[in-house]
Amino acid sequence: MWLPVLGLIIGLLLGFSTDIQIPVEYSNYLSIAVLAALDTLFGGIRANLQGIYDEKVFVSGFFFNIILAASLAFLGVHLGVDLYLAAVFAFGVRLFQNIAVIRRILLSKGSSKKQKIYFKKRE
Amino acid sequence: MGDKKKISMTVITLIIGFMTAIQFQTVNEPIIRDTRDTSQLREDLVKDKELYLSLVQEIRSNEERIEKYETERLESKEQVLKETLREFKGEAGLEKYEGPGIVINILPVSEELLLGETVEPISPYLLHALINELNRFGASEISIADQRWINISVIRDINGITKMDGFPLDRFPIEVKVAVDNMDTAEKLYNQMQVSDSAEEFFIQNFRLSFSTPQPIVSIPAYKDTIEIRNMELADTEKGG
Repeated sequence: MWLPVLGLIIGLLLGFSTDIQIPVEYSNYLSIAVLAALDTLFGGIRANLQGIYDEKVFVSGFFFNIILAASLAFLGVHLGVDLYLAAVFAFGVRLFQNIAVIRRILLSKGSSKKQKIYFKKRE
Repeated sequence: MGDKKKISMTVITLIIGFMTAIQFQTVNEPIIRDTRDTSQLREDLVKDKELYLSLVQEIRSNEERIEKYETERLESKEQVLKETLREFKGEAGLEKYEGPGIVINILPVSEELLLGETVEPISPYLLHALINELNRFGASEISIADQRWINISVIRDINGITKMDGFPLDRFPIEVKVAVDNMDTAEKLYNQMQVSDSAEEFFIQNFRLSFSTPQPIVSIPAYKDTIEIRNMELADTEKGG
C-alpha cells in the first residue's frame, strides 16, 4: 500500500528537483494528462478494491487516456474550440465517481470489520 | 495486492508525481524574492534608464531615417517630373539644344553682285526643300538665322520678304544650323549634303550653300515665342484601347 505513495512522493521530488519547465502554451496538455493519469489511478484503485483489477487494462488505460486527452486538446487548439474542456469534464466526473465508489467500499469494509469485532466480543 | 500490481501502481504514481510537479512548476513560476537594497535598486534603475534612453535614441534615428527616405522619395518624384518636362520641352523645341552637327551658310552668288544685280529674297520653297532634305538625312534640330525651326514653324513670303515665324530672312549670309544625334550621323549628313540637289537648286536661284565640316558641338537656340495650340484637344484617356 505504501509503495505507490512512495512512488508519488519520489515522482514529485524528482519533478521539483529537476527544475524542468515546459512552455506555457503546452501546460494545457500536461494538465489534462495529469488529470487522465489521476483518473486512471483512481480507477485502478477502485477496480482493485472491487476485485476486478486487470494489469493490462490498467497500464494500457493509463497511457491511452493520456494520449487521447492530449490529442483532444491538440485538436481543440487547432479547431479553435476548447475541446480539452470535454476531456476535463469527462475525467472530472469519472474521478468523482471513482472516488465515491472507493469511499463506499472503504466505508463498507470498515463497518464490516466493526461488526466482526462486535460479534467477536459477544462470543 | 500482488507484487506486479504494486510495481505498476508505483510506476504510474511516480509518473503522475513527476507530471504534477512539472505542471506545478510551470504554472507557479518560482517567485524570486527581491533582496536588493536601495543602492542596488538605484543602480538597476539607472541601468534600465540607460537602456530606455538608448532605445529611444535608436527609435528616433530610425524615424529620422524614414523621414529622410520619405523626402528623398518625394524629391525624386519631383525630379522625374522635372526631367520629363525638360524632355518634352526639348522635344518641342523650347530648350536650347547642343549636339554634333553641321552649319550651312546661304550666300548670294558674289558674281551676280559684281554684275550689279540686286539680290532676290530667298524663296520659301527653297528653304522648305532644304529643311526636308536635312530631315531626311537625320537632322534632329534645325535653326535658321538663329531662329529655332519647330514643328509648327512657317516660312512664307510676306510682302516680298521671306519670313520665318515673322522673322525676316533678308540678311545674308543666312546661317542654318543642323544638329544631329551623334557624330556619325553628322558625318553622313555632311556627305549627303555635299552631293544633294539643294545646292544646285539654290545655285539656280543665285544662292550658294557652304557647308562646314561636322562639328562636335552645334548650339541651337530655343524657340522664342510661345507655342499656341488651337486645334488640339485633350484625348480621353479612359477610353484608350
